Amino acid sequence: MSGIAAKSTRRAFFLRGGAALGAGVATAAPGRGATAGGVAEESDLEAIRRLHLTLTTLIQSQSYEEAASLFDENASLELSGVGARGKLGILQLFAEQYRHQQAPAIHSAYRQGARQLNDSVTVGDDRRHATATFHMDVEVCVPLQEDCTAAQMARLQGQMADRRWESGRFEAAYVKRGEWKVSSLRYLAC
Amino acid sequence: MSTRTYRPLQMHRIAYSDLTEAQVTQALRPTSNGPSCKSALTGALAGKRIKIVTDEGPSLDYNFRSARELELAENGGKAVKSGYGALESRNLVLVSHMVPGTQRGYQLVVDQSTGLATVFEVYFSGYAAEETAAAAQAKREPQFKSGHRNREAQRKVWFGHVEGTPAVAGGGAAPRHGYTNRLEGKGVYWKQDNDIEILEFYLTVLYSNFIELTRFGGELTVCAPSDYIMVNDHQFIYSRIECEFSGTFTLQVVDLFDVTQRGVRLGLTDKDELEYYMYTGKGEITGQIATFEVFGNNGEARTGPRRVYRPIETFETLTDDQVKDQCLNHAVAFGDGKGSGAAGMGGYKTEPVTHFAGKKLSVRMDNGPAIDYDFVDGKQLKWRYRGDDHWREAWYEMYEPDDRLYFFAHLLDAEFPRSCAMVAFDMKNGLATLVKGTTGTPFRNNETHPTYYFGVFQTDGSPTSPTYLRHGWTDEMVGHCVTWNYQRGNPGLTSMHFYATPNTYSWIIFQPDGSGGLQWSSPGWYSKVRDGVYIMAWVEEACNGTLGVILFNQRLMHDAGFGFHVGRNGLSLSVVGARARHAGKFDIEQHIGVRI
Repeated sequence: MSGIAAKSTRRAFFLRGGAALGAGVATAAPGRGATAGGVAEESDLEAIRRLHLTLTTLIQSQSYEEAASLFDENASLELSGVGARGKLGILQLFAEQYRHQQAPAIHSAYRQGARQLNDSVTVGDDRRHATATFHMDVEVCVPLQEDCTAAQMARLQGQMADRRWESGRFEAAYVKRGEWKVSSLRYLAC
Repeated sequence: MSTRTYRPLQMHRIAYSDLTEAQVTQALRPTSNGPSCKSALTGALAGKRIKIVTDEGPSLDYNFRSARELELAENGGKAVKSGYGALESRNLVLVSHMVPGTQRGYQLVVDQSTGLATVFEVYFSGYAAEETAAAAQAKREPQFKSGHRNREAQRKVWFGHVEGTPAVAGGGAAPRHGYTNRLEGKGVYWKQDNDIEILEFYLTVLYSNFIELTRFGGELTVCAPSDYIMVNDHQFIYSRIECEFSGTFTLQVVDLFDVTQRGVRLGLTDKDELEYYMYTGKGEITGQIATFEVFGNNGEARTGPRRVYRPIETFETLTDDQVKDQCLNHAVAFGDGKGSGAAGMGGYKTEPVTHFAGKKLSVRMDNGPAIDYDFVDGKQLKWRYRGDDHWREAWYEMYEPDDRLYFFAHLLDAEFPRSCAMVAFDMKNGLATLVKGTTGTPFRNNETHPTYYFGVFQTDGSPTSPTYLRHGWTDEMVGHCVTWNYQRGNPGLTSMHFYATPNTYSWIIFQPDGSGGLQWSSPGWYSKVRDGVYIMAWVEEACNGTLGVILFNQRLMHDAGFGFHVGRNGLSLSVVGARARHAGKFDIEQHIGVRI
């Protein structure tokens, strides 16, 4: 996807206040912006922004199977040191490591921060590829790994060994196969 | 001295019948006459017609034809007659009735001054459907190992108002009764009009635990999923369902101004006999311990179905052969010399004591084992029973939970059942306690049980042991609540112990917002080693089967201890080391009964 982003004829779109994730509400954001290549199609920009909102909302609500369905067949995912390749691998990561709290770190919630002003979406000339950067705060949880009774009970009510909020950004790439799909998603802590 | 009637089996050991729906229907048939009550029922609603409208639930048209008979039309349907009972508590009326010919009914709390109403729709034979749906949503297998639990009451809680009353007359956002954490941390001793005495402890926002002084002799505390609803700052609605046990439903209106209760109990006993009665009671506050939510969190939010901890359902019972295999072929003590690490409940263990390496120790228990030890190094020892020439090797870990007070543990012979020894010895007075943990109980092979021995010891530099003085049983910990933080992190692995009687304790697991959540209980044993220093043991009976033994130093608010467990993944002896906070104390000693 980096190749797409490097095209000189690319069209870019800079979101302003777009990645509103509070309480999982997909707030419509004004789509404005242009690059040397011209103005991106509002529908693509909006679709990508909504795709990211939907994905993070689904992860937050633990609708993991639905979240995995938003990825392309050959997609890659890396969230705080936990990664998978391919749609099937991503589904397994969510359905097994995330749902059963076996991953060493889990993204459990997202919220917007001031850095979202730096969010950007870049759509390729072919309008079939795009890249984006979305800034947000992530609640990173470390699951309880123990198997004692107290840990079993704690897991039943969503308790974790450690919870912390950290600021970071998603570096994402997208491919359009009828509708936009995530082809890579990587979370980087600031 | 009080007299207590004890039961041969405590609740967690009773094999409650898995009744069919038809059997439950038959058992509930008398409920159509309404509940009985020792106290006088009120006729406050006799001759009145009221319509209760709930926010997301049923609309209930009542015609109270008399003080004991009503007609109900649900959601505009055909009216049916039923017997009922009602009790008043100041402005509140508690109404209880079933719908004849069904397994369901309503418990109403109507506030005559505000017009607000809370409706508990209570029904039986509902577990299977709800468990199936919950399992599908959570993508897990439904839990039916213990049957379909038709006898277990289910409840739906609806908030609403009486149509045409002040609650909605003023317009705007309608007030409602609501969930609360304002009872959290409170304990009450109740004596009911039917002479039932019970200690209740509202230690979480999801659960409560109670000690049945009259019905079960007050030996153990047990836990039940519960609802806490606030009417105002002094009136509350509390209910529980004795899931995993008889499935009985209890609801009561609690008034903290005069500490009175108006309640209803509905369910089937261990003999499958109907209990359906209302009661009044007078209480005494036994204490108020700390709560751990941030200020401003009033516990009003509820999401999703109420969680129910079902250890009896999920406990995997192994066969004799399976446990024997684990005991003989898959036993590990402290990583077999690699160290127990800081996993599990040992995240705050202190530095192991190794300076007994090269020394010998002899412990001699009254009416118990006498064991000679040769500490080979800091991790391995040799031991033999006094008079036996055969020395065995074993891995051990030793800690110093108080000055020159040591506590170590090791596995005993590789046999079935298998045992371990946990030895505390006090270099200041020559006294020792040996807790022998052994696999198996009359109920399950993969449970454990402790045997306590008090005695003396001798080693290099130890004082002459006393002749008569011994460590011994204590009730000094009774009533205390202590949080235990086992693992680093925020919040790490944390629980709260409530030392409820000299024979039991319960543990509370906190929710992410700091409120108390799931809770369970087990038998417990308490002995005193020094002032403020105790050995406490518990067995997670009908749960995980684990024996935990901690030496708790109240001055340090720290413990050192050991866990002994056998299950499908082997037999293990591991370390416990945690940091404590004192959360408060309930003054309940006078209610516990016969002292020994």
